[in-house]
Amino acid sequence: MYQWLDDRLSIGKLYAKAFRKAFPVHHSFFLGEITLFSFVTLVLTGIFLTLNYEPSIRPVSGSLSGGQEVPAAYYSILYIDSLPFGAVIRSLHHWAAHIMIAAAFLHMLRIHLTGAYKNPRELNWIVGVFLLVLAIITAFTGYALPFDNYALTATKIGYEIGAAAPWVGKLLSNILFAGELSPTNTQTIPRLFPIHVLWLPLALMGLIGAHLAIMIKQKHTQPKYAEKVAPGKIVGVPLFPQQAAMMGILFLVYIAVTTFIAGAFLAHPVQAFGPPTANTPPVKPDWYFMWIYGILQIIPANWRFEFLGATFGPQFWGGILVPTVIILGALAIPFLDYSKEKQRYLELPSQHPFRTSFVVGMLMFYIMSTLAGYKVDLGLSNGLLWVLVFIVPIVTGVVCYIIMKAIYGKDWNQEPEIKLIGKGSAADD
Amino acid sequence: MADHEATAHHHEHHPEDPQAHATRRAILQAAIGVSAGAAVLSTLWVGAGLVPREEKIPSKEPVAVGDTLVFATGPKADQEITLDDLRAAQRERIPFIIAFPKSPENVVKKDLITNTIMVILADPAKMSPETRQYASPEGVLAYSAVCKHLGCTVSQWQNDTWLCPCHGGRYDIYNQAKVVGGPVPAPVPQLPVKVEGGKVVVAGEFLGKPGADV
Ligand code: FES
Repeated sequence: MYQWLDDRLSIGKLYAKAFRKAFPVHHSFFLGEITLFSFVTLVLTGIFLTLNYEPSIRPVSGSLSGGQEVPAAYYSILYIDSLPFGAVIRSLHHWAAHIMIAAAFLHMLRIHLTGAYKNPRELNWIVGVFLLVLAIITAFTGYALPFDNYALTATKIGYEIGAAAPWVGKLLSNILFAGELSPTNTQTIPRLFPIHVLWLPLALMGLIGAHLAIMIKQKHTQPKYAEKVAPGKIVGVPLFPQQAAMMGILFLVYIAVTTFIAGAFLAHPVQAFGPPTANTPPVKPDWYFMWIYGILQIIPANWRFEFLGATFGPQFWGGILVPTVIILGALAIPFLDYSKEKQRYLELPSQHPFRTSFVVGMLMFYIMSTLAGYKVDLGLSNGLLWVLVFIVPIVTGVVCYIIMKAIYGKDWNQEPEIKLIGKGSAADD
Repeated sequence: MADHEATAHHHEHHPEDPQAHATRRAILQAAIGVSAGAAVLSTLWVGAGLVPREEKIPSKEPVAVGDTLVFATGPKADQEITLDDLRAAQRERIPFIIAFPKSPENVVKKDLITNTIMVILADPAKMSPETRQYASPEGVLAYSAVCKHLGCTVSQWQNDTWLCPCHGGRYDIYNQAKVVGGPVPAPVPQLPVKVEGGKVVVAGEFLGKPGADV
C-alpha cells in the first residue's frame, strides 16, 4: 500500500523535503497555531449551523416559540438549541470566535515584542494585521444572524458607526446591511448570511494560506540560543513526527477546553432576549470592541463640524478615525523599525526598552479605554476618563522605560548567559 | 527593455513614417483607455445592484398629522394608546410607552425606524413653556424615541430622567428633551400631540429631524 502510494506521489521525497522541515521550539510559537485551530473549529461548527439555519425573517410559529410568530432566523436558533448538543455547538462557534481574536492578538503581541516583524518578514506582518481586522469584521457580520433583540441592537450601533464615515459611509452601510437596519427589513439577513458564511471566510482562508506560505518560505525566527548552538542553522524539531504530534495534542487540548467552556457557558441566550422589538435593551459590545465603545463614550458630543456635505462628529472620531490610525500605525511598524540585515533570531524584550515600553503603553491604552466602556455602570466622570485613557498610558510607558533602563541599562548589549547543558535548558525561557 | 529592442529591430527592416507610428500608438492607447474606463463603469453599474431599492409601502410612510399612536411592543402591540393606558403607565417603573403612528387607513407605520415615538403623561406644571405648547392640555407629551447618538431606542428611565441604554445618553423630557448627559449630540425632536376621544393623535410634524445624527 505504501509502495503503491509512493510510486504515484513520491511520498518519500515529500517526506524528506517537507516533513523534515525544522520547527524552532518556543511555547509562545503556539499562539499562531491556536488561532488556526480556532478558525478550523469555526468552520466545522459553522457548517453544522448553516445546515440548520434559515437566513430569512419571514414570520413563522411553532412549538418552540410557544405558538408565537417570530422571525424564521430567530426560530432556527431555537431549533438549533433544541438539537442534541445543538446549543453546545452554537456556543463553541461563539467562543471559538472570541478565542481566535484573542489568540491572534496575543500572537501579534509576541511578534511585536520580539521584533519578528523585521526584514524580511514585513509582508507577513502586514498580512497578519489584515487577518486580525478581517477576523473581527467577520465576527461582526455574524452578530445579527440570531436576530434577537440584543443582536440587532448591537449590530445597529455598528451600522451607525459605519454610516458615520464621511461621504461614503451611509452607502457602504446600506450595501452591507441591504438598507436601513431594522427589525422589519427583510433583506438584511439574506445579505449578511452569505457574507458571514461564505465570502469573508473565503477571504480569511486565502489570507491564512498566504500567511502560512510566506512563513514556510521565510522560515521561523528562532530563539536566541539557536545562534549559540548552531549558528546559521535552524534548530528545532522536524515537522514530522515531533512537531505534528505536538500540534495534534495541542489541537485536542484546544477542542477539549473550548468544548468545556461551550458546555459550561452557553452563548447568547436568544430566548431570554426575545425577537427584535421597537424597544432597545441595554447592550454592550464584545470585549474586542469595548475599547472603541469606551472612546465613543468620552468624546464630547459637540465635537462636530460639517465639511463639503459630510459631518465629522464623535462617531467619526471615536468609531472610525481612532481605529484607522491604530491599524495604519500597526501596518507601519516594520518600516519605522527597519533593520537592513535579515532578522533570523528573536530579540529579547529587555534589550529593546523603547519598543517594549511602547507596547506596554499601548496595552494600557486598550485597557483604559475598555474601562471607559463601563463609564455608566461605574459612574466614572468624563474628566477622569480622559486622564485614564490618554495620560495613564503615556505615564505607564515612560515609567516602564525608566525601570527597564535602570535594570537592564548596564548590560543591554551583553548577551544573556545561556547554559547549554544541564537542567533548565534555555529552550524553556 | 525587450520591447524597445524589438521595436528598433522592426524599424531596421521596414522603415516607416514616424508620424504614422505615433498616430497608431495614440489610437491604441486611446482604445486601451476607453475599454478600461468602460470596464470600470460597467463594474460600478453592476455593483450598484447591491444598493437596496427603496420600496414605497404604506407602512414606511413618515408620521403625519391625524395619525393615532399605537403600542409598538408588548401584549397590546398595534392597539391604540388611550389616556387610561398612559395613566396606568405613570404608576409603572417606566412611565412612558413606546409607540408607532397608525394612519387613518389603519396602517401601522412600523417599518420606518424614525417613526418610533415615546409618549408619556407628565405634569404640565413642570414643563417649560415651549414644551407645554406642543403637549396636550392633559400633559400628554411625545418625542422621537430614536436616540440622536447612534439610533438606539431610548427606552429607560432613571432618577426621573429619560435614559438611552446604549451609551448612557440622558434627556430632560420637561425641557424639549434637552441633553443632560452622555455622548448625545442633540435633543430628540418633540412631536406635537393632542387627545381626541381618549386617544392620542398627532397634531403636527416633528419639530426637527428624527433619527441618529451621523
Ligand atoms: S445610541 Fe443613545 S446614547 Fe448612544
